[in-house]
Amino acid sequence: MNVALLEIQNLTVRFGGLTSLSELDFRVEPGSLVALIGPNGAGKTTAFNVITGVYEPSEGSVRFDGDEIGGRPPHVISQRGIGRTFQSVRLFRGLTALENVRAALAAAHRSGLADVLRPPAWRRRERELTAQAHALLARLGLGHFAEAAASGLPYAAQRLLEIARALATQPRLLLLDEPAAGMNPSEKQALRELVARLRGELGLAIVLIEHDVRFVMDLCERVTVLDHGEKIAEGPPDVVRQDPRVIEAYLGTAGSGS
Amino acid sequence: MSRIGWIAAAAAVLALLALDALLPHVLNAYYATIVIRIGIAVIAAVSLQLVNGFTGQFSIGHAGFMAVGAYVSAAFSVYVGAGWLETLLGVLPSGLARAVYYPMALLAGGLAAAVAGLVVGIPALRLRGDYLAIATLGFAEVIRIAILNVDAVGGARGFSLAAAEHPAADLRFEGFGAVYALVLITILVIARLVYSSGGLSFRAVREDEIAATSIGVPTTRVKVEAFVIASFFAGVAGALFAHSEGYVHTNSFAFLRSFELVAFVVLGGLGSITGAVLAAAVLTAAPELLRGLGAWRMILYSLLLILTMLVRPQGLLGTRELDFGWLRRRFG
Repeated sequence: MNVALLEIQNLTVRFGGLTSLSELDFRVEPGSLVALIGPNGAGKTTAFNVITGVYEPSEGSVRFDGDEIGGRPPHVISQRGIGRTFQSVRLFRGLTALENVRAALAAAHRSGLADVLRPPAWRRRERELTAQAHALLARLGLGHFAEAAASGLPYAAQRLLEIARALATQPRLLLLDEPAAGMNPSEKQALRELVARLRGELGLAIVLIEHDVRFVMDLCERVTVLDHGEKIAEGPPDVVRQDPRVIEAYLGTAGSGS
Repeated sequence: MSRIGWIAAAAAVLALLALDALLPHVLNAYYATIVIRIGIAVIAAVSLQLVNGFTGQFSIGHAGFMAVGAYVSAAFSVYVGAGWLETLLGVLPSGLARAVYYPMALLAGGLAAAVAGLVVGIPALRLRGDYLAIATLGFAEVIRIAILNVDAVGGARGFSLAAAEHPAADLRFEGFGAVYALVLITILVIARLVYSSGGLSFRAVREDEIAATSIGVPTTRVKVEAFVIASFFAGVAGALFAHSEGYVHTNSFAFLRSFELVAFVVLGGLGSITGAVLAAAVLTAAPELLRGLGAWRMILYSLLLILTMLVRPQGLLGTRELDFGWLRRRFG
């Protein structure tokens, strides 16, 4: 087996008496494209929040590239190489699309003194950053929105801009939290192609949270299903979708009264 | 610096020198004081804009840091600097001696305020929204009351900038050129900090803190940085105030002063440097210029504030800046 890029072992997250995730084991190999699915409240977003440092694990370990990252601050984890998007879009709404990406490109290497004195090297770097930001926007098909305020973009474009911003931090692992939510079928199809293309071109590993089982079926090579904070199935998509526990989680059983 | 930069800098220096030479002959002492106070208000407002407008942390205790700057620089001048100034005056012509001395006094005030900003900022900036506002207000009052009880700086009597042992050294100072040079420096430093790729971190924190951490912005550090830089310039403004008035009292730095500064940045537009400049200048001059109206003065002033909030709730300029693009295009 390959060395895992992300290795979660025995991860439990509790909020007071509520166990949001229970003894989760989860691996992501470099360059792989996997999905995390499950009904509402299954703990998918909690898993993302622990991986990115928003929550601390109550028990268990989260290792990224061999290092324990559980409980580290989010900005440190971002700098280590994990990028993410949010279930409810969290853009810098008052900034332009270009500024959203430039902020992410520059976030880890700020120098106030250079910003004030502005030597020639600073000017060169500033031009480079702007060019990189334009290139990233173009890559996601947002080139014409560069100077538009993020809050004014169409909804699907806002979701794409969030991906562009996450990519600007040059992650090795990208976590997409319901990237297709609120998109129409043709936008979903375009997003599917984009995700596959990004993985191929940038060689990064992608974990995708999704409600819609069909969306991930022909896209991801592996699917992990969570329900009530526990992993109930894992494997190739067409095996997982036949799993009786998965069907039960999504549809309920005749005897469960739902 | 580009050639344009050098030309602009040279033009600014010439303009400041001309201002320095001409204004005392044109204006009487009353108007001269107003012009100086406008400059001080602009420095304080622009620095507060970095915290409130760009980083989105609502501080309403900025006057506390002005107080630290004013008192530390005044104490520095009276107890240490007066001797230095006397020595300098013995060797150099008066103007030059002061040009060497005052940057030290102002720096002392600015650095002391920056340290105070660091000490207050690290715990206070863990709070959000209303709680942060209350904490900054509280700290500013703590600073003010603490100073009020230090006998070495006059306590409740206030502190006069007269050093008994060095009668030759007049510590008072009303340099238009110097004040407005500092105004320009403050605007330049803060504008350059904020309007750069790295400076987008400030606005990223304002827009969405969780998203900012997700792209690698160390949000606590960014907030503390903004707070410390703003405190530094507030301290410089306080030091200028102390030396131009020749006398300081903690009453000048009570919470009303803090609220006034907040009014400048909110009315100018949170996130607009030029807006803060404009509002600070107009609102400092207005109560004085309306003085002829007697009791109607404060009513008119209040109406001005209310009308602005009604007509332009986002402030005069919103988050935009007055566009000097035409200038840059013509000369750049």
